[in-house]
Amino acid sequence: MWSRNALACCSKQSRAACAQLRSRTLATVTDAAGPSSAPTSTPKASPSRSSKASIQAAVVLNRSPIITRTPNPLERAYYAYQSRIQRALFNPFPDEFYFRPGSILEGQFNAEEKQREKLAFGGPSVKEKPIQTLVDSDDQVGKQQQQPMPRIHEADIKGDVRSLDRQMERNLYLLVHGKDSAGKDVWRFPQGGVEEGQALHQAAERDLYAECGEDMDTWVVSRKPIGVMEPSSASASSPQAYVFFYKAHILAGQATPNGKTVKDLAWLTKEEIESRVDQQYWASVKDMLSDS
Amino acid sequence: MSFALRAVREATPPLRVAQSSVRYARKDAGPDPRVEHIRRALYPGNIRNKETPIGSWRPNVGGRLQRAIPSVQAHETIERAWFLHQRHVRKRREAELERKHRFMVRAMEVLHELDPKLYKQANQEEDPRVRRPEEIELAKTLKAPEKRALESRIRGLFPRELRVPTDTPPRSGWNYDWKPPFPRV
Repeated sequence: MWSRNALACCSKQSRAACAQLRSRTLATVTDAAGPSSAPTSTPKASPSRSSKASIQAAVVLNRSPIITRTPNPLERAYYAYQSRIQRALFNPFPDEFYFRPGSILEGQFNAEEKQREKLAFGGPSVKEKPIQTLVDSDDQVGKQQQQPMPRIHEADIKGDVRSLDRQMERNLYLLVHGKDSAGKDVWRFPQGGVEEGQALHQAAERDLYAECGEDMDTWVVSRKPIGVMEPSSASASSPQAYVFFYKAHILAGQATPNGKTVKDLAWLTKEEIESRVDQQYWASVKDMLSDS
Repeated sequence: MSFALRAVREATPPLRVAQSSVRYARKDAGPDPRVEHIRRALYPGNIRNKETPIGSWRPNVGGRLQRAIPSVQAHETIERAWFLHQRHVRKRREAELERKHRFMVRAMEVLHELDPKLYKQANQEEDPRVRRPEEIELAKTLKAPEKRALESRIRGLFPRELRVPTDTPPRSGWNYDWKPPFPRV
């Protein structure tokens, strides 16, 4: 029978082997990506337990992508290749079952099929289906197919950063132009204090509504914060504010600035946030945001 | 290879897989061929020596496949390139998730150091069945549709309105005119 020690040894060895294997894997894009994905090597000093440490709650309000990612050329080529193979192998369509012989719909379908074959195989190697000439006048022509909406909105063309229809493939985050704890006018995430007896996530939600209006259907994902901004030790101001960020999704509605603490809003992607925000703030905040 | 295995491998597949009596039961179709079409659609033939009307088996598969793919080696290379690409995408996604998770763990550590009470509150599990007293009070003052809206948002579970991304956006676009149906609790 296995002794407990032997079993523990085995699992440890396999774990070590797994770790080794993982480090010796094929070259991946992330290895070549550079420092952005490498783990931060800053020393993780524990925060000072000063009684003056104040806690603030902030919200990273995210509008999730509305449309799917655009396929890159490799993916497009592969999908075309696979659909050609599928077209070669699938059973021929039983159009005698679905269409009345000689109807307009059948003619339409045959024309579309010919087009699809030509697109897939690219040549006059298509077996002609016999189209009967007699046409039934009582047949109803198929309903005009509605064209789908374009993937680029006019807000993309105009560059309207207040619009929620912009950059539909990407994750948009709400950035707010207002005063931070030091009193400077900066672009930051909506932020506010925590009252007594209130949980952090409730405080975050309340601060969001206080700064950006109540006409938003939001959902705070979890009770746990997704990130923290620790105050730099070299800051001149003595009250050390730790800002805990909470992730929320916006499902409907629009944010409106309250005019007092917040003057302007913008819905921005990760790169656009980088260009608008302070260097120090960006360093604390960038690891919470989605790249895509 | 053993003789038994070789015998199994070299055996030709049967021309007729199974007898299906309904397929061959030909009641007189008469002037209306539609019944015949329906029967053929429902009960496809199993004889694999000709192109059947509903095409349950394609005999010219070899030729069509030769036109579809350049060669066996090319096909295998394409498959390998695809799997490598998928691997890159997966690794990128996993790296991003791992980075976010590390940041979250750090935030929880800092919270634990700063305020153990808030930390404990953050770690509490949400019970979706529990209703807070303020919510019960609010529900008493609401009308039926508003009460339904209140009850549909369950704490700890994700909302139904979180939309799955599609290939093209919705016709109505983003709903900018949303107003809260009931005052917030």
